[in-house]
Amino acid sequence: MTIASTSHEDVLAQGQAEYACVTRNLSVAYRDELILRNVDLRVPRGVVMGVVGPNGAGKSTLIKAMLGLVKPLTGTTEFFGRPLAKVRQRVGYMPQSATVDWDFPTTVQDVVLMGTYGSLGWLRRPGKAERARAMAAMAQTGIADLASRQIGELSGGQRQRVFLARALVQSPDLFFMDEPFQGVDAKSQQAIVGVLHTLREQGKTVVIVHHDLMTVRDYCDHVTLLNRRVVASGPAADAFTKEAIRTTYDVTDDDGFLDSLAFVS
Amino acid sequence: MTVLEFFADHTYRMVLAGTVTIGFVAGALGSFAYLRKQSLISDVIAHAALPGTLVAFLAAVAVAGTGGRSMLVLITGAVLAGTIAVAFANHVARTSKVGIDTAMAVALTVFFGAGMLLLRIIANGEFPGKGGIQDYLFGNASVITTADFVTSLVVGMLALGLMVLFWKEFALRTFDPDQSTALGFRAGVIDTLMFTTIVIATVIGVKAVGLVLMVAFVVTPPAAARQWTRTLRGMVWLSAAFGAVGSGVGAWLSILLGTVPTGPLIVLTLFAIFLVSLLASPRRSIVVTVLSRRRARAALKRELTGEGANT
Repeated sequence: MTIASTSHEDVLAQGQAEYACVTRNLSVAYRDELILRNVDLRVPRGVVMGVVGPNGAGKSTLIKAMLGLVKPLTGTTEFFGRPLAKVRQRVGYMPQSATVDWDFPTTVQDVVLMGTYGSLGWLRRPGKAERARAMAAMAQTGIADLASRQIGELSGGQRQRVFLARALVQSPDLFFMDEPFQGVDAKSQQAIVGVLHTLREQGKTVVIVHHDLMTVRDYCDHVTLLNRRVVASGPAADAFTKEAIRTTYDVTDDDGFLDSLAFVS
Repeated sequence: MTVLEFFADHTYRMVLAGTVTIGFVAGALGSFAYLRKQSLISDVIAHAALPGTLVAFLAAVAVAGTGGRSMLVLITGAVLAGTIAVAFANHVARTSKVGIDTAMAVALTVFFGAGMLLLRIIANGEFPGKGGIQDYLFGNASVITTADFVTSLVVGMLALGLMVLFWKEFALRTFDPDQSTALGFRAGVIDTLMFTTIVIATVIGVKAVGLVLMVAFVVTPPAAARQWTRTLRGMVWLSAAFGAVGSGVGAWLSILLGTVPTGPLIVLTLFAIFLVSLLASPRRSIVVTVLSRRRARAALKRELTGEGANT
Protein backbone atom coordinates (compact mmCIF):
# COMPACT_ATOMS: atom_id res chain seq x y z
CA MET A 1 0.00 0.00 0.00
CA THR A 2 2.78 2.38 1.02
CA ILE A 3 4.80 1.39 -2.03
CA ALA A 4 1.86 1.97 -4.32
CA SER A 5 1.14 5.44 -2.99
CA THR A 6 4.82 6.47 -3.21
CA SER A 7 5.05 5.43 -6.82
CA HIS A 8 1.85 7.29 -7.50
CA GLU A 9 3.37 10.48 -6.08
CA ASP A 10 6.49 9.95 -8.14
CA VAL A 11 4.43 9.73 -11.27
CA LEU A 12 2.59 12.84 -10.22
CA ALA A 13 5.82 14.75 -9.57
CA GLN A 14 7.24 13.73 -12.91
CA GLY A 15 4.03 14.69 -14.59
CA GLN A 16 4.06 18.15 -13.03
CA ALA A 17 7.63 18.78 -14.09
CA GLU A 18 6.46 18.49 -17.68
CA TYR A 19 4.30 21.54 -17.19
CA ALA A 20 5.60 25.08 -17.22
CA CYS A 21 2.52 26.15 -15.37
CA VAL A 22 -0.39 24.47 -13.63
CA THR A 23 -3.44 26.33 -12.39
CA ARG A 24 -5.99 24.58 -10.22
CA ASN A 25 -9.50 25.62 -9.42
CA LEU A 26 -8.89 29.33 -10.05
CA SER A 27 -11.87 31.63 -9.50
CA VAL A 28 -11.75 35.42 -9.65
CA ALA A 29 -14.41 37.94 -8.71
CA TYR A 30 -14.42 41.72 -9.18
CA ARG A 31 -16.39 42.95 -6.21
CA ASP A 32 -19.21 40.36 -6.17
CA GLU A 33 -19.25 39.53 -9.88
CA LEU A 34 -17.63 36.23 -10.76
CA ILE A 35 -15.25 36.66 -13.71
CA LEU A 36 -13.60 33.24 -13.76
CA ARG A 37 -15.14 30.03 -12.48
CA ASN A 38 -12.98 27.12 -11.39
CA VAL A 39 -10.37 27.39 -14.10
CA ASP A 40 -8.00 24.44 -14.43
CA LEU A 41 -5.14 25.03 -16.82
CA ARG A 42 -2.00 23.10 -17.67
CA VAL A 43 0.57 24.63 -19.95
CA PRO A 44 3.06 22.00 -21.18
CA ARG A 45 6.67 23.07 -21.52
CA GLY A 46 7.87 24.30 -24.88
CA VAL A 47 4.52 25.16 -26.44
CA VAL A 48 2.90 28.36 -27.58
CA MET A 49 -0.48 28.37 -25.89
CA GLY A 50 -3.15 30.74 -27.14
CA VAL A 51 -5.83 31.88 -24.69
CA VAL A 52 -8.79 32.70 -26.91
CA GLY A 53 -12.27 33.96 -26.16
CA PRO A 54 -14.72 36.84 -26.68
CA ASN A 55 -14.46 40.28 -25.08
CA GLY A 56 -15.07 40.12 -21.36
CA ALA A 57 -14.26 36.41 -21.22
CA GLY A 58 -11.66 37.06 -18.53
CA LYS A 59 -8.55 36.35 -20.60
CA SER A 60 -6.44 39.19 -19.17
CA THR A 61 -7.87 38.53 -15.73
CA LEU A 62 -6.79 34.89 -15.96
CA ILE A 63 -3.19 35.86 -16.68
CA LYS A 64 -3.16 38.54 -14.02
CA ALA A 65 -4.60 36.19 -11.43
CA MET A 66 -2.05 33.51 -12.31
CA LEU A 67 0.71 36.07 -11.82
CA GLY A 68 -0.73 37.34 -8.56
CA LEU A 69 -1.57 40.79 -9.97
CA VAL A 70 -5.25 40.17 -9.22
CA LYS A 71 -6.14 38.38 -6.03
CA PRO A 72 -8.08 35.19 -6.83
CA LEU A 73 -11.09 34.11 -4.82
CA THR A 74 -10.01 30.49 -4.90
CA GLY A 75 -7.29 28.43 -6.49
CA THR A 76 -3.54 28.19 -6.84
CA THR A 77 -1.00 28.44 -9.64
CA GLU A 78 2.38 26.78 -9.74
CA PHE A 79 5.20 27.49 -12.14
CA PHE A 80 7.65 24.68 -12.84
CA GLY A 81 6.10 22.90 -9.89
CA ARG A 82 6.77 25.75 -7.45
CA PRO A 83 4.94 28.86 -6.23
CA LEU A 84 5.58 32.08 -8.16
CA ALA A 85 7.60 33.74 -5.41
CA LYS A 86 10.30 31.04 -5.77
CA VAL A 87 10.60 31.22 -9.55
CA ARG A 88 9.74 34.83 -10.39
CA GLN A 89 12.79 35.29 -12.59
CA ARG A 90 11.72 32.40 -14.82
CA VAL A 91 8.33 34.00 -15.52
CA GLY A 92 7.99 37.06 -17.77
CA TYR A 93 4.95 39.23 -18.32
CA MET A 94 4.17 41.51 -21.24
CA PRO A 95 1.06 43.58 -20.39
CA GLN A 96 -1.29 45.16 -22.89
CA SER A 97 0.43 48.26 -24.14
CA ALA A 98 -2.61 50.41 -23.33
CA THR A 99 -2.05 49.88 -19.60
CA VAL A 100 0.78 52.41 -19.26
CA ASP A 101 1.10 56.15 -19.84
CA TRP A 102 3.05 56.50 -23.09
CA ASP A 103 3.64 60.18 -22.38
CA PHE A 104 5.88 59.16 -19.46
CA PRO A 105 9.25 60.91 -19.71
CA THR A 106 11.43 57.94 -20.53
CA THR A 107 13.32 56.49 -23.47
CA VAL A 108 13.04 53.13 -25.22
CA GLN A 109 16.27 51.80 -23.74
CA ASP A 110 15.26 52.84 -20.22
CA VAL A 111 11.98 50.92 -20.52
CA VAL A 112 13.73 47.82 -21.89
CA LEU A 113 16.29 48.09 -19.09
CA MET A 114 13.41 47.77 -16.60
CA GLY A 115 13.26 44.10 -17.56
CA THR A 116 16.51 43.59 -15.65
CA TYR A 117 15.16 45.09 -12.42
CA GLY A 118 13.70 41.79 -11.24
CA SER A 119 17.04 39.97 -11.24
CA LEU A 120 18.74 43.01 -9.69
CA GLY A 121 16.30 43.08 -6.78
CA TRP A 122 15.94 45.97 -4.34
CA LEU A 123 18.40 48.89 -4.46
CA ARG A 124 20.95 47.48 -6.95
CA ARG A 125 21.31 49.59 -10.10
CA PRO A 126 21.64 48.31 -13.66
CA GLY A 127 25.24 48.40 -14.91
CA LYS A 128 27.14 47.62 -18.09
CA ALA A 129 26.05 43.98 -18.27
CA GLU A 130 22.37 44.94 -17.95
CA ARG A 131 22.73 47.63 -20.61
CA ALA A 132 24.30 45.12 -23.00
CA ARG A 133 21.43 42.69 -22.41
CA ALA A 134 18.90 45.46 -23.07
CA MET A 135 20.73 46.35 -26.29
CA ALA A 136 20.63 42.71 -27.44
CA ALA A 137 16.90 42.45 -26.72
CA MET A 138 16.23 45.64 -28.67
CA ALA A 139 18.20 44.22 -31.60
CA GLN A 140 16.19 41.00 -31.44
CA THR A 141 12.89 42.87 -31.73
CA GLY A 142 14.24 45.29 -34.35
CA ILE A 143 14.08 48.49 -32.31
CA ALA A 144 17.80 49.05 -31.69
CA ASP A 145 17.72 52.21 -33.81
CA LEU A 146 14.97 53.63 -31.61
CA ALA A 147 16.97 53.18 -28.37
CA SER A 148 17.14 56.84 -27.36
CA ARG A 149 13.68 57.80 -28.61
CA GLN A 150 11.10 59.07 -26.17
CA ILE A 151 8.45 56.35 -25.95
CA GLY A 152 5.63 58.77 -26.81
CA GLU A 153 7.01 59.09 -30.34
CA LEU A 154 6.53 55.40 -31.16
CA SER A 155 3.85 53.72 -33.27
CA GLY A 156 1.59 51.05 -31.80
CA GLY A 157 3.69 48.24 -33.23
CA GLN A 158 6.92 49.76 -31.98
CA ARG A 159 5.41 50.08 -28.50
CA GLN A 160 4.58 46.37 -28.46
CA ARG A 161 8.13 45.59 -29.54
CA VAL A 162 9.47 47.72 -26.68
CA PHE A 163 7.37 45.68 -24.25
CA LEU A 164 8.47 42.46 -25.93
CA ALA A 165 12.12 43.49 -25.63
CA ARG A 166 11.58 44.28 -21.96
CA ALA A 167 10.16 40.79 -21.42
CA LEU A 168 13.03 39.20 -23.39
CA VAL A 169 15.69 40.99 -21.38
CA GLN A 170 14.51 39.16 -18.30
CA SER A 171 15.22 35.90 -20.25
CA PRO A 172 12.44 33.93 -18.58
CA ASP A 173 11.50 30.35 -19.45
CA LEU A 174 7.80 31.14 -19.50
CA PHE A 175 6.30 34.22 -21.15
CA PHE A 176 2.83 35.64 -20.65
CA MET A 177 1.85 38.06 -23.40
CA ASP A 178 -1.43 39.95 -23.26
CA GLU A 179 -2.62 40.71 -26.81
CA PRO A 180 0.84 41.21 -28.33
CA PHE A 181 -0.67 41.76 -31.79
CA GLN A 182 -3.15 44.45 -30.82
CA GLY A 183 -2.86 47.64 -32.87
CA VAL A 184 0.22 46.33 -34.63
CA ASP A 185 1.28 47.02 -38.23
CA ALA A 186 2.41 44.23 -40.57
CA LYS A 187 6.11 44.90 -40.02
CA SER A 188 5.86 44.74 -36.23
CA GLN A 189 3.65 41.67 -36.46
CA GLN A 190 6.35 39.95 -38.48
CA ALA A 191 9.01 40.95 -35.96
CA ILE A 192 6.93 39.65 -33.04
CA VAL A 193 6.09 36.37 -34.80
CA GLY A 194 9.81 35.94 -35.53
CA VAL A 195 10.60 36.29 -31.84
CA LEU A 196 7.81 33.82 -30.94
CA HIS A 197 9.32 31.22 -33.29
CA THR A 198 12.79 31.77 -31.89
CA LEU A 199 11.48 31.33 -28.36
CA ARG A 200 9.76 28.08 -29.30
CA GLU A 201 12.96 26.79 -30.91
CA GLN A 202 14.80 27.59 -27.68
CA GLY A 203 12.31 25.44 -25.80
CA LYS A 204 10.66 28.39 -24.02
CA THR A 205 6.98 28.35 -23.19
CA VAL A 206 4.70 31.17 -24.30
CA VAL A 207 1.14 31.93 -23.26
CA ILE A 208 -0.51 34.58 -25.43
CA VAL A 209 -3.90 36.16 -25.07
CA HIS A 210 -5.10 36.25 -28.63
CA HIS A 211 -8.05 37.90 -30.29
CA ASP A 212 -8.00 36.89 -33.91
CA LEU A 213 -9.48 33.44 -34.49
CA MET A 214 -8.15 33.37 -38.06
CA THR A 215 -4.51 33.36 -37.00
CA VAL A 216 -4.74 31.16 -33.91
CA ARG A 217 -3.54 28.12 -35.84
CA ASP A 218 -0.59 30.04 -37.27
CA TYR A 219 0.83 31.15 -33.93
CA CYS A 220 -0.32 28.62 -31.38
CA ASP A 221 0.18 24.88 -31.07
CA HIS A 222 -1.96 24.68 -27.94
CA VAL A 223 -5.22 26.50 -27.44
CA THR A 224 -7.38 27.32 -24.43
CA LEU A 225 -10.87 28.50 -25.25
CA LEU A 226 -12.11 30.66 -22.42
CA ASN A 227 -15.37 32.32 -21.58
CA ARG A 228 -15.54 32.81 -17.83
CA ARG A 229 -14.62 29.12 -17.63
CA VAL A 230 -12.41 26.84 -19.68
CA VAL A 231 -14.42 25.47 -22.59
CA ALA A 232 -11.58 23.47 -24.08
CA SER A 233 -7.83 23.29 -23.57
CA GLY A 234 -5.16 21.23 -25.24
CA PRO A 235 -3.31 20.75 -28.54
CA ALA A 236 -4.90 22.97 -31.20
CA ALA A 237 -6.15 19.99 -33.21
CA ASP A 238 -8.12 18.67 -30.21
CA ALA A 239 -9.23 21.86 -28.50
CA PHE A 240 -9.75 24.37 -31.29
CA THR A 241 -12.84 22.72 -32.77
CA LYS A 242 -15.99 24.19 -34.28
CA GLU A 243 -18.05 22.82 -31.46
CA ALA A 244 -15.83 24.36 -28.80
CA ILE A 245 -15.65 27.73 -30.59
CA ARG A 246 -19.44 27.71 -30.93
CA THR A 247 -19.81 27.18 -27.19
CA THR A 248 -17.17 29.78 -26.33
CA TYR A 249 -18.59 32.51 -28.54
CA ASP A 250 -22.20 31.50 -27.93
CA VAL A 251 -23.11 31.39 -31.62
CA THR A 252 -25.46 29.15 -33.57
CA ASP A 253 -24.21 27.42 -36.68
CA ASP A 254 -26.31 29.39 -39.17
CA ASP A 255 -24.62 32.68 -38.25
CA GLY A 256 -22.05 32.15 -40.95
CA PHE A 257 -19.56 33.00 -38.21
CA LEU A 258 -18.01 29.56 -38.26
CA ASP A 259 -17.96 29.30 -42.05
CA SER A 260 -15.32 31.98 -42.07
CA LEU A 261 -13.24 29.55 -40.03
CA ALA A 262 -13.56 26.78 -42.62
CA PHE A 263 -10.05 25.55 -41.88
CA VAL A 264 -11.00 24.58 -38.35
CA SER A 265 -11.49 20.87 -37.89
CA MET B 1 19.94 97.29 -1.40
CA THR B 2 23.16 95.69 -2.56
CA VAL B 3 23.72 91.95 -2.65
CA LEU B 4 26.16 92.33 0.22
CA GLU B 5 23.62 94.12 2.39
CA PHE B 6 21.08 91.46 1.53
CA PHE B 7 23.26 88.60 2.70
CA ALA B 8 24.44 90.50 5.77
CA ASP B 9 20.90 90.37 7.15
CA HIS B 10 20.20 87.19 9.10
CA THR B 11 16.44 87.22 8.46
CA TYR B 12 16.92 87.69 4.71
CA ARG B 13 19.46 84.86 4.61
CA MET B 14 17.09 82.57 6.44
CA VAL B 15 14.14 83.47 4.21
CA LEU B 16 16.19 82.83 1.08
CA ALA B 17 17.87 79.63 2.26
CA GLY B 18 14.64 78.28 3.75
CA THR B 19 12.46 78.86 0.70
CA VAL B 20 15.11 77.64 -1.76
CA THR B 21 15.40 74.40 0.23
CA ILE B 22 11.63 73.99 0.26
CA GLY B 23 11.41 74.73 -3.47
CA PHE B 24 14.19 72.29 -4.36
CA VAL B 25 12.84 69.35 -2.31
CA ALA B 26 9.19 69.91 -3.27
CA GLY B 27 10.10 70.34 -6.95
CA ALA B 28 12.09 67.11 -7.08
CA LEU B 29 9.59 64.92 -5.24
CA GLY B 30 6.56 66.60 -6.79
CA SER B 31 7.62 65.00 -10.08
CA PHE B 32 6.47 61.61 -8.83
CA ALA B 33 3.11 62.98 -7.66
CA TYR B 34 2.72 64.57 -11.10
CA LEU B 35 3.59 61.38 -12.99
CA ARG B 36 1.25 59.29 -10.83
CA LYS B 37 -1.47 61.81 -11.73
CA GLN B 38 -1.92 62.63 -8.06
CA SER B 39 -0.67 66.21 -8.08
CA LEU B 40 -3.43 67.34 -5.76
CA ILE B 41 -2.37 64.81 -3.12
CA SER B 42 0.00 67.50 -1.83
CA ASP B 43 -2.99 69.79 -1.23
CA VAL B 44 -4.52 67.04 0.92
CA ILE B 45 -1.22 66.65 2.76
CA ALA B 46 -0.82 70.38 3.35
CA HIS B 47 -4.33 70.72 4.76
CA ALA B 48 -3.93 67.60 6.89
CA ALA B 49 -0.68 69.07 8.19
CA LEU B 50 -2.66 71.70 10.10
CA PRO B 51 -4.39 69.38 12.60
CA GLY B 52 -1.25 67.23 12.68
CA THR B 53 0.86 70.21 13.62
CA LEU B 54 -1.63 71.45 16.20
CA VAL B 55 -2.05 68.04 17.84
CA ALA B 56 1.74 67.75 18.01
CA PHE B 57 1.86 71.23 19.59
CA LEU B 58 -0.77 70.27 22.18
CA ALA B 59 0.97 66.96 22.89
CA ALA B 60 4.32 68.66 23.39
CA VAL B 61 2.78 71.22 25.72
CA ALA B 62 0.89 68.54 27.66
CA VAL B 63 3.87 66.18 28.00
CA ALA B 64 6.84 68.52 28.27
CA GLY B 65 5.00 71.67 29.24
CA THR B 66 6.91 73.48 26.50
CA GLY B 67 8.74 72.86 23.22
CA GLY B 68 5.50 73.09 21.30
CA ARG B 69 7.14 75.28 18.70
CA SER B 70 10.02 72.93 17.95
CA MET B 71 10.08 72.43 14.17
CA LEU B 72 10.90 68.74 14.53
CA VAL B 73 7.88 68.10 16.78
CA LEU B 74 5.58 69.99 14.44
CA ILE B 75 6.95 68.27 11.32
CA THR B 76 6.50 64.87 12.96
CA GLY B 77 2.85 65.66 13.69
CA ALA B 78 2.33 66.99 10.17
CA VAL B 79 3.97 63.94 8.57
CA LEU B 80 1.79 61.56 10.59
CA ALA B 81 -1.45 63.41 9.80
CA GLY B 82 -0.45 63.84 6.14
CA THR B 83 0.32 60.14 5.80
CA ILE B 84 -3.01 59.18 7.37
CA ALA B 85 -4.87 61.54 5.01
CA VAL B 86 -3.09 60.11 1.95
CA ALA B 87 -3.74 56.54 3.05
CA PHE B 88 -7.37 57.38 3.72
CA ALA B 89 -7.90 59.00 0.30
CA ASN B 90 -6.22 56.14 -1.56
CA HIS B 91 -8.04 53.50 0.47
CA VAL B 92 -11.47 55.06 -0.15
CA ALA B 93 -10.74 55.37 -3.88
CA ARG B 94 -9.54 51.77 -4.10
CA THR B 95 -12.27 50.07 -2.12
CA SER B 96 -15.35 52.11 -3.01
CA LYS B 97 -16.88 53.57 -6.12
CA VAL B 98 -15.85 57.04 -4.95
CA GLY B 99 -13.25 58.46 -7.36
CA ILE B 100 -9.79 59.56 -6.20
CA ASP B 101 -10.60 63.26 -6.82
CA THR B 102 -13.63 63.10 -4.55
CA ALA B 103 -11.78 61.01 -1.96
CA MET B 104 -8.99 63.57 -1.88
CA ALA B 105 -11.46 66.44 -1.49
CA VAL B 106 -13.21 64.66 1.38
CA ALA B 107 -9.91 63.93 3.13
CA LEU B 108 -8.73 67.50 2.62
CA THR B 109 -11.85 69.14 4.04
CA VAL B 110 -12.28 66.86 7.03
CA PHE B 111 -8.68 67.30 8.14
CA PHE B 112 -8.81 71.04 7.49
CA GLY B 113 -12.08 71.34 9.42
CA ALA B 114 -10.54 69.53 12.37
CA GLY B 115 -7.53 71.81 12.10
CA MET B 116 -9.64 74.98 12.20
CA LEU B 117 -11.43 73.65 15.26
CA LEU B 118 -8.13 72.96 17.03
CA LEU B 119 -6.82 76.37 16.01
CA ARG B 120 -9.76 78.05 17.74
CA ILE B 121 -9.34 75.89 20.84
CA ILE B 122 -5.66 76.82 21.07
CA ALA B 123 -6.35 80.50 20.41
CA ASN B 124 -8.90 80.56 23.25
CA GLY B 125 -6.79 78.56 25.72
CA GLU B 126 -3.75 79.30 27.83
CA PHE B 127 -0.86 77.57 26.10
CA PRO B 128 2.78 78.59 26.41
CA GLY B 129 4.30 79.55 23.07
CA LYS B 130 1.06 79.60 21.15
CA GLY B 131 1.93 82.91 19.51
CA GLY B 132 2.31 82.66 15.74
CA ILE B 133 0.67 79.25 15.49
CA GLN B 134 -1.88 80.71 13.07
CA ASP B 135 1.00 81.32 10.64
CA TYR B 136 0.44 77.80 9.38
CA LEU B 137 -2.64 78.94 7.51
CA PHE B 138 -0.98 81.49 5.22
CA GLY B 139 2.66 81.05 6.16
CA ASN B 140 5.26 83.53 7.26
CA ALA B 141 8.72 83.16 5.78
CA SER B 142 10.20 85.93 7.91
CA VAL B 143 9.90 83.81 11.07
CA ILE B 144 12.13 81.01 9.78
CA THR B 145 14.76 80.47 12.48
CA THR B 146 18.14 78.85 12.01
CA ALA B 147 16.80 75.77 13.80
CA ASP B 148 13.78 75.70 11.47
CA PHE B 149 16.03 75.94 8.45
CA VAL B 150 18.39 73.22 9.63
CA THR B 151 15.46 70.94 10.45
CA SER B 152 13.83 71.34 7.05
CA LEU B 153 17.20 70.92 5.35
CA VAL B 154 17.94 67.68 7.19
CA VAL B 155 14.43 66.25 6.80
CA GLY B 156 14.31 67.35 3.15
CA MET B 157 17.66 65.71 2.40
CA LEU B 158 16.39 62.56 4.09
CA ALA B 159 13.42 62.50 1.70
CA LEU B 160 15.66 63.15 -1.31
CA GLY B 161 18.01 60.44 -0.07
CA LEU B 162 15.15 57.95 -0.04
CA MET B 163 14.26 58.98 -3.58
CA VAL B 164 17.83 58.47 -4.81
CA LEU B 165 18.17 55.16 -2.96
CA PHE B 166 14.91 53.74 -4.34
CA TRP B 167 15.14 55.53 -7.70
CA LYS B 168 14.82 52.37 -9.78
CA GLU B 169 11.85 51.10 -7.75
CA PHE B 170 10.09 54.50 -7.81
CA ALA B 171 10.56 54.81 -11.57
CA LEU B 172 9.30 51.30 -12.35
CA ARG B 173 6.31 51.52 -10.03
CA THR B 174 5.32 54.94 -11.40
CA PHE B 175 5.62 53.90 -15.05
CA ASP B 176 4.20 50.38 -14.90
CA PRO B 177 2.75 49.25 -11.55
CA ASP B 178 1.80 45.75 -12.77
CA GLN B 179 5.26 45.04 -14.14
CA SER B 180 6.75 46.24 -10.88
CA THR B 181 4.63 43.74 -8.95
CA ALA B 182 5.26 40.96 -11.47
CA LEU B 183 9.01 41.44 -11.08
CA GLY B 184 8.64 40.87 -7.34
CA PHE B 185 8.64 44.39 -5.87
CA ARG B 186 6.07 44.81 -3.11
CA ALA B 187 3.72 47.59 -4.17
CA GLY B 188 2.86 48.55 -0.59
CA VAL B 189 6.51 49.05 0.34
CA ILE B 190 7.26 51.30 -2.64
CA ASP B 191 4.06 53.31 -2.24
CA THR B 192 4.66 53.86 1.45
CA LEU B 193 8.18 55.08 0.79
CA MET B 194 7.13 57.26 -2.13
CA PHE B 195 4.19 58.92 -0.40
CA THR B 196 6.28 59.44 2.74
CA THR B 197 8.79 61.41 0.70
CA ILE B 198 5.98 63.46 -0.91
CA VAL B 199 4.46 64.10 2.53
CA ILE B 200 7.83 65.31 3.83
CA ALA B 201 8.34 67.53 0.79
CA THR B 202 4.98 69.15 1.46
CA VAL B 203 5.05 69.62 5.23
CA ILE B 204 8.53 71.18 5.46
CA GLY B 205 7.14 74.21 3.64
CA VAL B 206 3.89 74.70 5.49
CA LYS B 207 5.25 77.07 8.14
CA ALA B 208 7.00 79.37 5.68
CA VAL B 209 4.53 79.25 2.79
CA GLY B 210 1.26 78.33 4.43
CA LEU B 211 -0.87 75.24 3.86
CA VAL B 212 -3.06 76.96 1.27
CA LEU B 213 -0.28 77.78 -1.17
CA MET B 214 2.08 74.87 -0.47
CA VAL B 215 0.51 72.77 -3.20
CA ALA B 216 1.96 75.17 -5.81
CA PHE B 217 5.50 74.17 -4.78
CA VAL B 218 4.74 70.50 -5.44
CA VAL B 219 2.63 70.89 -8.58
CA THR B 220 3.95 73.81 -10.64
CA PRO B 221 7.68 73.00 -11.02
CA PRO B 222 7.07 69.42 -12.30
CA ALA B 223 4.40 70.64 -14.72
CA ALA B 224 6.86 73.20 -16.10
CA ALA B 225 9.78 70.76 -16.16
CA ARG B 226 7.78 68.13 -18.02
CA GLN B 227 7.58 70.48 -21.03
CA TRP B 228 11.35 70.44 -21.52
CA THR B 229 12.56 66.94 -20.75
CA ARG B 230 12.29 63.42 -22.10
CA THR B 231 13.78 61.43 -19.24
CA LEU B 232 12.71 61.00 -15.63
CA ARG B 233 16.14 62.03 -14.36
CA GLY B 234 16.01 65.22 -16.43
CA MET B 235 12.52 65.99 -15.23
CA VAL B 236 13.33 65.59 -11.53
CA TRP B 237 16.52 67.68 -11.79
CA LEU B 238 14.85 70.45 -13.78
CA SER B 239 11.78 70.47 -11.55
CA ALA B 240 14.02 70.78 -8.47
CA ALA B 241 15.93 73.61 -10.18
CA PHE B 242 12.71 75.40 -11.13
CA GLY B 243 11.47 75.05 -7.55
CA ALA B 244 14.71 76.40 -6.10
CA VAL B 245 15.10 79.26 -8.60
CA GLY B 246 11.42 80.22 -8.41
CA SER B 247 11.58 80.27 -4.61
CA GLY B 248 14.82 82.23 -4.58
CA VAL B 249 13.59 84.86 -7.03
CA GLY B 250 10.21 85.11 -5.29
CA ALA B 251 11.83 85.51 -1.87
CA TRP B 252 14.28 88.07 -3.23
CA LEU B 253 11.45 90.10 -4.78
CA SER B 254 9.38 90.01 -1.61
CA ILE B 255 12.29 91.37 0.40
CA LEU B 256 13.09 93.97 -2.26
CA LEU B 257 9.51 95.19 -2.39
CA GLY B 258 9.34 95.40 1.39
CA THR B 259 5.89 94.64 2.72
CA VAL B 260 4.89 91.88 0.29
CA PRO B 261 4.41 88.32 1.66
CA THR B 262 6.93 85.79 0.40
CA GLY B 263 4.74 82.73 -0.32
CA PRO B 264 2.41 84.44 -2.81
CA LEU B 265 5.32 86.05 -4.68
CA ILE B 266 7.05 82.67 -5.01
CA VAL B 267 3.83 81.14 -6.33
CA LEU B 268 3.58 83.90 -8.93
CA THR B 269 7.23 83.39 -9.93
CA LEU B 270 6.65 79.65 -10.31
CA PHE B 271 3.61 80.39 -12.43
CA ALA B 272 5.72 82.61 -14.69
CA ILE B 273 8.17 79.73 -15.17
CA PHE B 274 5.25 77.43 -15.94
CA LEU B 275 3.78 79.86 -18.47
CA VAL B 276 7.09 80.31 -20.30
CA SER B 277 7.54 76.53 -20.39
CA LEU B 278 4.10 76.00 -21.82
CA LEU B 279 4.61 78.63 -24.52
CA ALA B 280 8.25 78.24 -25.45
CA SER B 281 9.46 74.66 -24.90
CA PRO B 282 10.73 73.28 -28.22
CA ARG B 283 8.82 70.00 -28.33
CA ARG B 284 5.61 70.62 -26.42
CA SER B 285 5.01 74.38 -26.72
CA ILE B 286 1.50 75.20 -27.81
CA VAL B 287 2.79 78.18 -29.81
CA VAL B 288 5.59 76.27 -31.53
CA THR B 289 3.21 73.42 -32.35
CA VAL B 290 0.69 75.72 -34.01
CA LEU B 291 3.39 77.59 -35.96
CA SER B 292 5.21 74.52 -37.22
CA ARG B 293 1.93 72.87 -38.21
CA ARG B 294 0.92 75.98 -40.17
CA ARG B 295 4.31 76.07 -41.88
CA ALA B 296 4.10 72.39 -42.79
CA ARG B 297 0.60 72.83 -44.23
CA ALA B 298 1.74 75.81 -46.30
CA ALA B 299 4.67 73.82 -47.68
CA LEU B 300 2.36 70.93 -48.47
CA LYS B 301 -0.01 73.27 -50.27
CA ARG B 302 2.80 74.78 -52.34
CA GLU B 303 4.00 71.33 -53.28
CA LEU B 304 0.54 70.20 -54.35
CA THR B 305 -0.24 73.32 -56.40
CA GLY B 306 3.20 72.95 -58.02
CA GLU B 307 2.34 69.38 -58.99
CA GLY B 308 -1.01 70.55 -60.33
CA ALA B 309 0.71 73.17 -62.51
CA ASN B 310 3.15 70.64 -63.93
CA THR B 311 0.57 68.18 -65.15
